[in-house]
Amino acid sequence: MSLFSSLIQSRDRNAERMDDGRLGQAVKPHYDIVDSKDGYALTVYLPGVSKEGLQITAENNELRVVGRPAWKRPDGWTTLYNEATEVPFELALEHDNSIDVEKIHAELRDGVLRASLPKAEALRPRRIAVN
Amino acid sequence: MHMVRYANQNNRSSGSGLATVSPWTGLENEIDRLFNTALTNFGASRFGHQFPVGVYEDANNTYVRAELPGVNRDEINVEMVDGSLNISAARKQKNGDVEESFSFSRSISLPDGIHTDRVAATYENGILTVTLPKREEAKPKKISVTVN
Repeated sequence: MSLFSSLIQSRDRNAERMDDGRLGQAVKPHYDIVDSKDGYALTVYLPGVSKEGLQITAENNELRVVGRPAWKRPDGWTTLYNEATEVPFELALEHDNSIDVEKIHAELRDGVLRASLPKAEALRPRRIAVN
Repeated sequence: MHMVRYANQNNRSSGSGLATVSPWTGLENEIDRLFNTALTNFGASRFGHQFPVGVYEDANNTYVRAELPGVNRDEINVEMVDGSLNISAARKQKNGDVEESFSFSRSISLPDGIHTDRVAATYENGILTVTLPKREEAKPKKISVTVN
C-alpha cells in the first residue's frame, strides 16, 4: 500500500482534507459494510488500537472512526524493517441520515471494531395493510 | 454500501464561483472516489494473503510485530525453521449465515544468533509480538580499552 499511496495523489489529498489540525496524517483502515433489513453491520480493522485510543463520532451526516495505535516504539529498540503504519487510522463515512445514531452499538476486540448501525425507523421496509 | 452517498458538486453553472473553484473539482472528487474504491478492494485482497510486519531489536532481543486483527489465539502458529520465523493465522468471519475462514502465513528471515528454544509470543489489540532472545555471542560487547 505504501507504493500506492506515494504514487497516487488522491490519497494524499484526502489526508489533507481530513486533517483538521488535531489529527495530522492518517490512513484509511480496511473496512466492510454489510446491508441487512434492520441496519448495516460495519467492520473496521484497526490493528494495535485499544479502547482508549478509539473515538467514534456521529455528526451531521457523517460517521467518523478515529483509532490511535496504543503502541510506541520503546527507547532502545532499533527498527530493522517496518511495513506497519504508525499514524492513526481514520475512516469517515457519509450517510443520508438513514441510520439511527442514538442506537449505534460498537464493540472493539483484538483490533477489530464491529458496529451495528440500525436503520432509522422511517426507512425500514414496512408492510402496509390494505383494507 | 448503500450508506455511502457522495454529493457530486457540479460547478458548471456557477458563474461567480469560477474565480475561486476549479472547474475540475467535480471530476477530481469523482476520480478520488474511484481510486478509493479500487484501493479498498485492492487492500482487501492483499490483506487476505499477507499481513504487515515490523522487525526491531535491542541489545538482548529481536522483536517481530505482526498486524493480525481479529484472529483466534489458538489459531496463531509461530515456528522457527532454519533461521526464519514462520507465522500463520486464521480468521473466521460471519457473513450473514455463512461463515468464512481466511488464513494467512508469512515467513520472515532473521539474523543469526537467536535462542530458538526461548522464543515467546504475545497477542494484544490484534498485534502479535514475538520476542526472540539473542545468544550471548550475538549480543553487543563492551570492551574497555585503557589508553595510556
